[in-house]
Amino acid sequence: MILELAHFQILAAALFCLGLYGVLARRSAVMVLMAVELMLNAVNINLVAFSAFRDISIVTGQVIAIFVITVAAAEIGLALAVIMRLYRRRGTVNVDEIDWMKG
Amino acid sequence: MNADFTLLIPEFILAGAGFLVLLVDLLLPREQEHRRNAFTSATAVLGLAVTGVVAATTQMNTGESFHDGLLFIDRYSLLFKVLFVGIGIAVVVMSVDYVAEKMSHPGEYYALIIFAVLGATLMAESGELLTAFISIELLSFSLYVLVGLSRGDARTAEASTKYILLGAISTAIMLYGISQLFGVMGTTRFTEMGGLLAAAGDWDMTLISGFVMVLAGLGFKLSMAPFHMWAPDVYEGAPTPITALIATLSKAAAIALLLRFLAEVGSGAVHEWRMPLAVLAAATMVIGSLSALPQTNIKRLLAYSSIAQIGFVLVGIVPNTVIGANAVLLHVIGYAFTNLAAFTVVIIIELKLGKETIADFAGLSKRAPVLAMIMTGALFSLAGLPIFAGFLTKFYLFTSAVDKSLEWLVVVAVATSVISLYYYIRIVREMYITETEDESKLPVPALLGLLAWVLFAGTIAVGIYPAPFVDATNAAVTVLTPWVAL
Amino acid sequence: MPVDGYAVNWAAVVIAAAVGVAGMAVMLLGSFLLAPRRPSEAKAIAYESGIRPTPLAWTQFTVRYYIFAILFLIFSVEAVFLFPWALVFLETATYVFYAMIMFIAILLFGVAYAWRKGVLQWR
Repeated sequence: MILELAHFQILAAALFCLGLYGVLARRSAVMVLMAVELMLNAVNINLVAFSAFRDISIVTGQVIAIFVITVAAAEIGLALAVIMRLYRRRGTVNVDEIDWMKG
Repeated sequence: MNADFTLLIPEFILAGAGFLVLLVDLLLPREQEHRRNAFTSATAVLGLAVTGVVAATTQMNTGESFHDGLLFIDRYSLLFKVLFVGIGIAVVVMSVDYVAEKMSHPGEYYALIIFAVLGATLMAESGELLTAFISIELLSFSLYVLVGLSRGDARTAEASTKYILLGAISTAIMLYGISQLFGVMGTTRFTEMGGLLAAAGDWDMTLISGFVMVLAGLGFKLSMAPFHMWAPDVYEGAPTPITALIATLSKAAAIALLLRFLAEVGSGAVHEWRMPLAVLAAATMVIGSLSALPQTNIKRLLAYSSIAQIGFVLVGIVPNTVIGANAVLLHVIGYAFTNLAAFTVVIIIELKLGKETIADFAGLSKRAPVLAMIMTGALFSLAGLPIFAGFLTKFYLFTSAVDKSLEWLVVVAVATSVISLYYYIRIVREMYITETEDESKLPVPALLGLLAWVLFAGTIAVGIYPAPFVDATNAAVTVLTPWVAL
Repeated sequence: MPVDGYAVNWAAVVIAAAVGVAGMAVMLLGSFLLAPRRPSEAKAIAYESGIRPTPLAWTQFTVRYYIFAILFLIFSVEAVFLFPWALVFLETATYVFYAMIMFIAILLFGVAYAWRKGVLQWR
């Protein structure tokens, strides 16, 4: 079997949908973050595959992937700090229970 | 390839100012909170002001692109640069008393405001998807932290968690869209994408999904329906000056990016996206206006009102014409003045009374007549009543939509304007008619009072003497290349 | 079935993995067959410098670790930019070199900031 662009696209789409499912179904804020990471990795697969299969001299896709990795790391660091603050105040990281504000 | 770094001098000054604020904060002893607050805020205002002056004096006639269209340093970005710097200065000034009372990290606070302004500026300049994405993240990360920085209020932790989680999801969706667009077109530069799209004919699924996902990411920043859910909670939970920053800076930056993106990329295929965007505009206006009706918290009410305002802005974006873009820019300027004036009054009330419900405004006309007048002016401007900025700019917006025979959209817009008048008038009635036992005078802090006056004057200036502003927006709009031919 | 380049490339990986798994299985099986078994309670617990491991390992780690983890994360991700830069900076314009110097300077400012704020102290 020869791997084609479509295989990578399907893998990326599947991973992205898994992440999206996790975002919607998970109740712990930390798990939601992990699901977001899945989505970002799907993006990376997509970008690198496009970059490699379309025209290898155009490195834009790989460059974007590097930036996505960095931004994902920064996002995780920041989000965990924020979630920890919430945990200290409320003793929970359950997204269903953070509903002090209504309206 | 043009890598002339002198084009970016204002941005370098801005970034340097951010680090300088942090440095000032580090060098002053930890115990002297008041001195740290005063010094860091003064440094921040100075840095922002220098940036604005340098940009306005040196870049008046530049129309260059940096690195083949990574960033555009032109009149369009200059207009937004000056606007953002102005918003930054106003927010820093309205924060000084607030920070002294409610926060413990003045250095980080002001530095992050500067970095947010930097991110917004880069958003207005960017002409490429990756650059745009990084700028959005710079703005968003600054706001995520700022929202959660307040010391006492337990709501901030919840607001910042919601903001960052939803923001992260929208980021992921937008990135997937970017990867799709890159995959189809092999480029991420707006101008090249525009050429390819115009020649593309029918759109295939990949293209549509990529376009929709990128717009969804921007729509989240804009709090456009159906991506508006975060706005009320974040507005209520955030420290009030930061609420003002989100309502003006981050909205204006997202509009700047969206307008440039649609003009450069989408102009060749307007028929593909005009109707869907028009429907979303209508939905945004209706949802914003109707949800505002039952609100009792003033910050929440302003949140829904800002959602409705985004709907009005979209009315000007949908036609994709020079007139529409002009109206959008003018509306953004007027809206910034108006909203900042309203939030300044809210901050004064919050500092003096410790609360921010609409009932707290009762009897304000007797307790602080000037504040009541300024608040009334700001609310009337938001509702779109004459002599204030809102009337004129909304009129332009609606005209531009009629030009492209989108009458139904204008009907929706006018109807929601009338609804919005009802809840704005509710606050005015509270201030002027409701009786209260406590009729003691409210002392107005000098700095905040002055700021409120200046912003109020700006609101009226846009409303009755718009000529200089229209000149600026005219010059800005001409650089959006595809429309010059129209 | 014709052997294409793809299969040839991956054959080495498959063989290496197979040898690894087989080696591990042989060793485990060998010790299972050869070793004498006299279980006792003291042997069943996890070995931790000869001291009885108490309390349970399911305790929360102190928050301090978390800040170090974030700092580590930021600097490990920095390397993602350094590698491509190190490969090409001799061939590119000089400003590329200074851009990276500036990038590292900003990160160093971050460390100095964390240091001065007392984040790196173990309290």
